[in-house]
Amino acid sequence: MLEFFSFRTIWEYRSLFQEGLRNTFLISIVSLFLALIAGVLACAARLSGWRGLRGVSIAYIESIRSTPLLVQIYFLYFGLPTLGIRIPEIQTGILALMLNSGAYIAEIVRAGITSVPGGQIEAGISSGLSYFQRMRFIILPQALGVTVPPLLGQAITLVKDSALLSMISVVELTRSGQMLTSERFMPAEAFFTVALLYLVIYFFLKYLSGWSQKKLIFRET
Amino acid sequence: MIKFKNVNKWFGSLHVLNDINLQVSAGEVVVVCGPSGSGKSTLIRCINRLERIQKGELFVDGMPLHDSTINLTKLRAEIGFVFQQFHLYPHLSVLENVTLAPIHVRKMKKKEAEALAMEKLERVGLADKATAHPEQLSGGQQQRVAIARGLAMSPKILLFDEPTSALDPEMIGEVLAVMVKLAQEGMTMCVVTHEMGFARQVAHRVIFMDEGKIIETGKPDQFFDNPQSDRAAMFISKILKH
Repeated sequence: MLEFFSFRTIWEYRSLFQEGLRNTFLISIVSLFLALIAGVLACAARLSGWRGLRGVSIAYIESIRSTPLLVQIYFLYFGLPTLGIRIPEIQTGILALMLNSGAYIAEIVRAGITSVPGGQIEAGISSGLSYFQRMRFIILPQALGVTVPPLLGQAITLVKDSALLSMISVVELTRSGQMLTSERFMPAEAFFTVALLYLVIYFFLKYLSGWSQKKLIFRET
Repeated sequence: MIKFKNVNKWFGSLHVLNDINLQVSAGEVVVVCGPSGSGKSTLIRCINRLERIQKGELFVDGMPLHDSTINLTKLRAEIGFVFQQFHLYPHLSVLENVTLAPIHVRKMKKKEAEALAMEKLERVGLADKATAHPEQLSGGQQQRVAIARGLAMSPKILLFDEPTSALDPEMIGEVLAVMVKLAQEGMTMCVVTHEMGFARQVAHRVIFMDEGKIIETGKPDQFFDNPQSDRAAMFISKILKH
């Protein structure tokens, strides 16, 4: 079987895989960055004292978490133009990944913040620190330690989820595998290479996650 | 300095503070004791408004705490609070624990705050632990750092909520020694504790609470040797057995 496996074809199509890898990488980085902002904002809204804001945040988080990402992508890709909003595929894809990951990140950040013991907050209150000072100097530094590892887990999920953007013809890694397959009918070569490249990204993020777990966790003794 | 006037508070249907009247003047050391659930912790947590009173009036340093328009952070900066579980910030060094509020609330320069913090750590006998992290300290040492953290704000009042209850017996002494020194230097203190030795040595008054009420108030020796109420007598006989 292996004699039919054409490494030469993979090498021939290296620029296609390069483009796919680069796009997957860029889309993931940009989406993750925007998702972090969306997640922190949604989390702040979720924890705010204002009921309306809390309601909007819960509606956003729950509607994202209860529906498949593919449906969300299709909704944005086919739905937005009918509402008169026309944006290119890549941007639509980034928007979908941002909204999707943002909802999960909001819950991760919330878990981090609520994991800080109440006594820490009371100690800060008693010293006369304001709400924002307590957040910045006491709560967030401690929340970070428990938040970063699951955030990197979410980053791994996001990279793999970006494969779904191939469904709206964004030329990312999976799509480049599909293109090779349709041109030369070599699915084994195509998707073996695609999988291998995802694996490289995965191990890089996993390494970061293990490192952060060792460095960032502080606990009250 | 502190004045409770017909103060009431409920947790749901539980009447935790029942018509409390109490006055503490500057320089006075008051020990609050009573069985668990008697409302003694709630009483002192009201003084820096970690808990809100629901009825009555409470003045602290001239500020009406029953009024919701007062500047709470400013008031709290003047009141130190020492918790049963210390609650040091685990991500900061001992020195940073002590300088955090002076730098960000008092707006002191870092150098200045560090000099002040070292002086306070010296007072609690832990200047050599300034660079350590809380997890490297024993319970008694952590509690002394917590006291230094309170002192660094030069508070007008220090509140202690069972400061030695979470400590191993051999560490209680070192914390009490620091508290005795503070009391003798004229700090205004409200201390929830069952440490009779401490009460006898430095308290001006002992307040005995049960079921949200102040049952008895007296000088320490008089209260422990000759309690007026049966409830207090029973309580004292129980803590003496240990």
